[in-house]
Amino acid sequence: MKRSGRLSYHLCRLLLGGVFVWAGAVKALDVPAFAGQVAAYRLLPYAWNYAVASTLPYVELLAGALLLANQRLKPAALLLGVLNGLFIVVLLSVLARGLQIDCGCFGPDAGTTPLQALGRDVVLLALAVAVYRQHDRYAPPAGP
Amino acid sequence: MSPLPRTLLDAILIAALGATIGLAVNHRLVGDAFSGRLAAPAAVAATPAARLPQPVLLAEVRELAATGAVPVDARDAALYSEGHLPGAISLPLGEADARLAGFRAQVDVRRTLVLYCNGYGCPDSFDLGLQLIKAGYQDVRVFEGGFPEWRDAGLPVEKGAR
Repeated sequence: MKRSGRLSYHLCRLLLGGVFVWAGAVKALDVPAFAGQVAAYRLLPYAWNYAVASTLPYVELLAGALLLANQRLKPAALLLGVLNGLFIVVLLSVLARGLQIDCGCFGPDAGTTPLQALGRDVVLLALAVAVYRQHDRYAPPAGP
Repeated sequence: MSPLPRTLLDAILIAALGATIGLAVNHRLVGDAFSGRLAAPAAVAATPAARLPQPVLLAEVRELAATGAVPVDARDAALYSEGHLPGAISLPLGEADARLAGFRAQVDVRRTLVLYCNGYGCPDSFDLGLQLIKAGYQDVRVFEGGFPEWRDAGLPVEKGAR
């Protein structure tokens, strides 16, 4: 029982980390295009779209890489959970305002509707919560 | 094991570190965005990013229009005739395939194009930009604020069919 729990914990960690490393890398490779997609959400003053597009991919990359590397798991899972919660709120606002946009979650060519993105973010949030909550049970004790 | 405040602090540090790396890598882009100098003509080069339509701000659209750039309206013909940027050529995304040859005959591929449609929620100008780049246009910009931002800024609007 404990063994399958540990296995699923590590699967959650690797899946969550892998998804965010991928999402961050794709967006970091083409920041101007991602800035255009952030602008499409119509939430920020123009220049701030570039600030978000420049920083968010690297935050995702770093947190995802920590999960893959089995380091700082709780803070990384917490950060990705909070980010996902934020994405969900933003996507709900897109639906509420009836904007027809591409979510931009995985770079310019992914072509995901806000509703699909919302479903995916709920799953990712669940993964982040699972990693956060299971960490103390399955992770090796932290060093000094 | 690790109490919440410690975890929270670490999470904030990870976010701050990621953001710092992002800003360090993209400091020129962010600096240009905040100073309104984005996508200056020299920025158009043979890099992969330059093969995408480059976003421009309202202020730069005004400068570009004054220096001979061609505004291109990606909305449908009815919206175009209700009001468009002065001198804009109508090339609705849906008719782009059929009209591209005529457009190329009219506009040299070396001209700077400024594409627009119905503002931030509208992807047509970006998609049209990709087609025009494929058709050989070398300097394709997208004004994402589009017709609404131009009109709301009180700038001159031309009416009439193409």
